[in-house]
Amino acid sequence: MARFITPGSMEAVSRLGGAPGGKRGAPALDTDTDSTREIKTHFRVCRFIMETGVKLGMRSVPVATACVLYHRFFQCVSVTVYEPYLVAMSCIYLAGKVEEQHLRTRDIINVCHRYFHSSSEPLNCDGEFWDLRDSVVQCELLVLRQLNFHVSFQHPHKYLLHYLLSVKSLVNRHAWSRTPVAETTWALLRDCYHGTMCVRHAPQHIAIATLYLALLSYGVEVPVGEREWWQVLCEDITKEHIDAIISDLLHLYDMEAKCT
Amino acid sequence: MDRDLLRQTLSHHGQSLFTHLKCEQSENPDFKAIEPDLSKASYQRKYGGEDNALVEQFIARKADILFAPSWKSSALLEDPYAIMPPLEQFMEVSFEERRNLLYRDIERGDIVIGRINSIRDFGFFVTLICMGGGLERDIEDLELTALCPLRDVPSNGNHDDPLSYYQLNDLIRAGVKDIDRYHEKITISLQPSSLGPNLMNLKLGVFSRDDMPLQYSRSVRVANDNTETYERVLEGSLGYSNPSNVEYLLGKIGVSDTQPPSLMRGLQSKHFLEEDFATTIRKKQSASWALKCVRVGVDHFKSGRHVEAMNEYNKALEIDTNNVEALVARGALYANKGSLLKAITDFELALESCPTHRNAKKYLCQTLVERGGQLEEEEKLVTAEGLYRKALALDDSFQDAKEALKKIELLIQKSLKLREEAAAKEAEKAKNVETSAEKLRKILKEEKRYIHTNPSERKSKKKKRKHRRSSRGKKHQQVSSRDNRSVADDEEEWYPAPPNTSASFLDQKSSVVRPFEGPESTEEGSQPPSKGRSHSYRSLSSVSDAPDNSRFEDDPFDASPQRAEGSKGKGVRGDKTSDGDVKEREGSRGQRKIKHRRMSSSSAGSEHSRKSDQYTNDLPSQSHISTYRRSDSGKYGSTERGDKKEQERGTRRSDGGDYRSSTDATRNGKGSSAGGSQKKELPTNLLDLFSQIAQFEKEKCVKPKK
Repeated sequence: MARFITPGSMEAVSRLGGAPGGKRGAPALDTDTDSTREIKTHFRVCRFIMETGVKLGMRSVPVATACVLYHRFFQCVSVTVYEPYLVAMSCIYLAGKVEEQHLRTRDIINVCHRYFHSSSEPLNCDGEFWDLRDSVVQCELLVLRQLNFHVSFQHPHKYLLHYLLSVKSLVNRHAWSRTPVAETTWALLRDCYHGTMCVRHAPQHIAIATLYLALLSYGVEVPVGEREWWQVLCEDITKEHIDAIISDLLHLYDMEAKCT
Repeated sequence: MDRDLLRQTLSHHGQSLFTHLKCEQSENPDFKAIEPDLSKASYQRKYGGEDNALVEQFIARKADILFAPSWKSSALLEDPYAIMPPLEQFMEVSFEERRNLLYRDIERGDIVIGRINSIRDFGFFVTLICMGGGLERDIEDLELTALCPLRDVPSNGNHDDPLSYYQLNDLIRAGVKDIDRYHEKITISLQPSSLGPNLMNLKLGVFSRDDMPLQYSRSVRVANDNTETYERVLEGSLGYSNPSNVEYLLGKIGVSDTQPPSLMRGLQSKHFLEEDFATTIRKKQSASWALKCVRVGVDHFKSGRHVEAMNEYNKALEIDTNNVEALVARGALYANKGSLLKAITDFELALESCPTHRNAKKYLCQTLVERGGQLEEEEKLVTAEGLYRKALALDDSFQDAKEALKKIELLIQKSLKLREEAAAKEAEKAKNVETSAEKLRKILKEEKRYIHTNPSERKSKKKKRKHRRSSRGKKHQQVSSRDNRSVADDEEEWYPAPPNTSASFLDQKSSVVRPFEGPESTEEGSQPPSKGRSHSYRSLSSVSDAPDNSRFEDDPFDASPQRAEGSKGKGVRGDKTSDGDVKEREGSRGQRKIKHRRMSSSSAGSEHSRKSDQYTNDLPSQSHISTYRRSDSGKYGSTERGDKKEQERGTRRSDGGDYRSSTDATRNGKGSSAGGSQKKELPTNLLDLFSQIAQFEKEKCVKPKK
C-alpha cells in the first residue's frame, strides 16, 4: 500500500508533523504497552480531527464521519505503517465529500500546517505544498480501498435530536429551559468520537446513552409510565447497555488528562 | 373538481370560458355537480382585451385534469423532521400521572383542539381532544373540559349572538386563556390576543378534521395499532429521511454547530484563535501569492514586456481580487499604455480598500491631470476642470494639477466672454430678419387652414413622417455612430457639468450661459409668454441654420438634439399641425440650441457670428437643413399628443428609426434621458409659454370651424 504514497509526500507529511515530541504529545512512558500507546495516538489524532473540523467550519456530522473513517481504517491496519495524521487529513477530506460539505485541500493543508507549526506563515505555492496535496489525495484513495468503499454511516445525531424533542415534551418547559440539556448531550455526543466506542455501539444506543447521562447530570425528573422513556425510544436497549456506553464515554474523559 | 380554483379561472377569463366549459365538460359528472354553483355568478373578463379563444378551449377541454383535486401536491404533510406523537402515549403513563402533569405544565397561550359538547348562554364547553401547539401531551382520553366564556368568542359578522355561529360537536381550535391549577379548570378563548407571539398566526375557531396536527393523527394510528413502536413511526416518517433535518433541528433547539459545545478541556471554544481558522489563513495566503505575481509582473514591466506584465497582474487579481498592490500596478500599466479611464478605475478601487496608499494616490493624481489634458483638447473644458479639482482634492501639493486648473479656468472665462459678445450681436440681428419672420407667419396660417380642412390627414401625415424617418434613419445612424465614442465618454465621465443652454435660448438678451449657474435664475425673469416673441425666436433660429450645418457632424449629435427636440415637441403639441415648415422652425430652433452649446464649450465663438452674417438670407440652405432635421422633429410631432414625458420622446425617437442598431437606440435613450433629466430643469414658465401657444393655435382652429 505504501507505494501509493510517494516518498516525497511521506517526507512532507512527516515534516508537517514536526519533531516527534512536538504536537504528538507527551513522550511515551515505558510502562505503556503497545496497545495503550496506540490508543493514545488515536486519541490525539482524533483530537486533531475535531480541532481541524472546528477551524474548517465543519458541521458535527461530517466530523463524526471523519472520525469513524479513521477508526475503521486503523481497525484493519497497523499504525506504524501509515502516518496517522496523513490518514486523518484524508479522512477529513473524504468525509467532507460524503456528507456534502465539500472542503478544499488547500484549506485542510493550511489548517493542519498551522496546527503543527503554530503562528507560522501560510505555505507558499511551491513543491512542498503540491507534495502535501498529492499525498492527501493518494491517501484518500487508500482509505477508500481499505474500507471497501463503505463510507456512509448512520450517525446518532439525527436520533439524538428527535429523542431530545420527545423527551422535552414530557418535562415542564420552565424546568427544561433552565437546564442546558441540549448543549450537554450534544457535547457528550461529539466527544464520543475520540475513541472507538463510536464504532462499537449502535447509533440509537449512543444517542440514548448521551441523553441519559445529560439528564442524570442535571437531575432532571422525567415522568415514569409503564415503560421508561429510553425503553420506548429504542426497543432493544437495556440498562446495561446504557451503563456500558456511559462508562466508555467517561473513560475517554480520563484519557484526556493522560494524552494531552 | 376544485370549485374555488375554477371560480378563480372563470373570473379571470370571463363568460366565454364558462360557455366553453359547459360545452366541453358536459359529460363530466363532477362538473355538473358544481355547475349550478358557478353559474350563479356572472363573469366579466378581468383584463379586457385579447380574446384567448384557443387557450380557453384548451382549458375547457383539459378541465377535468387541470382542476382535479388529486393534482394538488400534498405539501402539507412534508415535514423537515419526523414529528412524533407524544412520548407519554408510548410510555403508557398512567391516567392520573398524565392528568396531574398536564395541569402542572399547561400554560397561557398554549393551543388546544376540542369538540363543543354544550352551549350555554354564558359560553360553551369544549372537550379537549389534543394539544395544538405549545405543549405536546396525550390528552384525548383524559376527557378534560374547558370553558370558553362569551366575551372571548369573537362576533361573526351579522350574527347578533356570536354563539349562534357555533353548534354542538364543532371542532374548535382555541388558545388557553387561564388555568386554575388547584381547581383543575381551564378557560379558553377564541380571541387571537390570547396567543403568544410565536403562535400568533394560527387561526382560532372552527376547525376541520383534515387540519388536525400531524402528531395527533400519528398518535391515533399508534393507539389503534399495537405493533407501532416509536422507532417504527420515526423511521416511517418522511421527515426522518430529510438529509438536512439535523441542521434544522439544531436550529430549532438552539445549539450552534459552528461553535460546538464540548466537555473536553482542550476543545473549549475559547482556546481557538481566529487566525487559526481556515478562512483567515486562506486570505493571508492568497494575498502573499498574489504579491509574488505582482513582483514578477513589475519586473516584466520594467524590462518593457508589457503583455507579460499584464498577464501577471491579472493572474494576481484572480488569486486575490481587490489586491491593492496588483490594482495599483495594473493601473500604472494602463496609464502608461494610454487607457486612462481603466487606470483611473483601478486606482480608485485600490484606494477604496486602502485609502492611504501613497503610490495609488500619486498615480491617480497624475492620471487625472493627464485625462484632464486630453479632455481640454477635446474642448470639454468643464469636465476637465472637474478632474483637475478632483486631483487637487486628493493631493494638495500637486503642482501640475494647480497649474492646469488655473489655465482651464482662464479658458472658460474667455469662452464665456466670447459667447456674450456673439449673443449681443445676435440680438442686434433680431431686427433685421423681418422678412423671414413674415414668411413663417404666412406658412403658419396656411397650415391652420390645412388642418381645418382635413384633420384625418394627420394619420397619413404620420405615416409619411414615419417613412421619411426611416429613410433619414440611415443618415442618423452614420452621424450617431461617429459620435458614439464621444457620447460614451460623456456618459462615463459625467461630472456635474453646467446645465444645457436650451433654456438660455429663449432669453436672447441675457443669453450668457454661465456654466456654473443654473439657467433658471436668468431665464425665468425674462420669458414673456407671447406668441410674437416665439415667432421671433423661430426667425432667429432660421438665421443661424446654415452655420450649424457644418458643425452638425462634429456635435455629440444625439445628446443635444434631444434636448432641443424635447422643448420643440412642446411647441409642436400646441401647434398640432406639425407640418413641414413648423418642423423647419423647430429644426432650426434645435440648431440654435446646438449652436449655443457649442459656444459654451469652444473658444471659437467668433466664427459663428461671422457665418451668421453671411447666411442671413440664404434660404435654400435653410430649407436644406430643415428638411434634414424634419425627420427628427417629425417624429416628435407625430407622437405629441397631450402631456408626454421627455424621456419618452427620446425613446420613441430611437424606436422610430428602423435602420438604427439597438446600441444606437440605447445611446439615444441615454442621451435623451440625460437630456430629459436636464429638461427637468426647464422652468415652468417655458411650459406655460408653450401651452399658451397651443391655446392660441387652438383658438385659431376653432374660429374658422365656427
